[in-house]
Amino acid sequence: MFPVSPPQQLRLSQGLDLILWLLARRRRLRVVGESMMPLLQPGEEVLVDPNSYRRHPPQPGDLVVASHPHQPGLELIKWVVYGQGDLYFIAGINLGASTDSRSFGLVSRAHLLGRVVCRFP
Amino acid sequence: MLKQVISKFQASFPAPAVYAHCDGPCGVYDPSSARVAAEAVVAMTKKILDLQPPAPGDKAATVAYNNTLSRYIAIKEEQAQLAKEELLILWTDYFKPVHLEQFPDLHTTFWKAAKLCSACKVEVSPQHATELMEAIQKIHGIFWATKSREIPWYTAS
Repeated sequence: MFPVSPPQQLRLSQGLDLILWLLARRRRLRVVGESMMPLLQPGEEVLVDPNSYRRHPPQPGDLVVASHPHQPGLELIKWVVYGQGDLYFIAGINLGASTDSRSFGLVSRAHLLGRVVCRFP
Repeated sequence: MLKQVISKFQASFPAPAVYAHCDGPCGVYDPSSARVAAEAVVAMTKKILDLQPPAPGDKAATVAYNNTLSRYIAIKEEQAQLAKEELLILWTDYFKPVHLEQFPDLHTTFWKAAKLCSACKVEVSPQHATELMEAIQKIHGIFWATKSREIPWYTAS
């Protein structure tokens, strides 16, 4: 359906990830909902690098945390399908149970709050 | 040891939520409601066929027979209609175009299942009641495949 395949794997955390989390350089978040199945089950936790996209642009295939363009404060976990200038198409993995760019359109880079780097723990 | 500490920590300090979001009321659909109704249709069909008519001239037995038969028929009618409604809700509300790409015979499957519900209302047919259960079993498989979950098929009876 998409030119790029959704991410198939997300690694477990290593010592460095936990140190960065203790130094508040990673956010720990818990997945709610089924739109990222089978990669992420509801209730699983992940670590997110909130500074990742200050250093370099989002890449297709990245797992991201994004703010919902029409519901301020609602943070979504999706993956980047493609970028178009400063706009990005984000989607769930479980397309039958996901609200994403197919319904709310492209989101700006400012809406991408960080890159999901690993699971927690 | 470390694992235990971490899971204790996770339980004591829940992480903030990030939403693998869906606007629809995800998770409230389940083909088992259609399956339960269809099982009742199978059971009532069998009971109607097994019911022994009363001896001629036995008024009390005739009343009891008519009453029991009417109840069986009413329940079969009602449950077949319920199975149809549950299937139509799944078909029109849960399933999306992306599922049709994955299961190209989705529409035919539901259409045939809904028609079997009608046939079970009109007739007293163990064959059509069995075919209805088989159709719902197929829909069960498709439904849970779209949710990437393996839920084994089972029946209450």
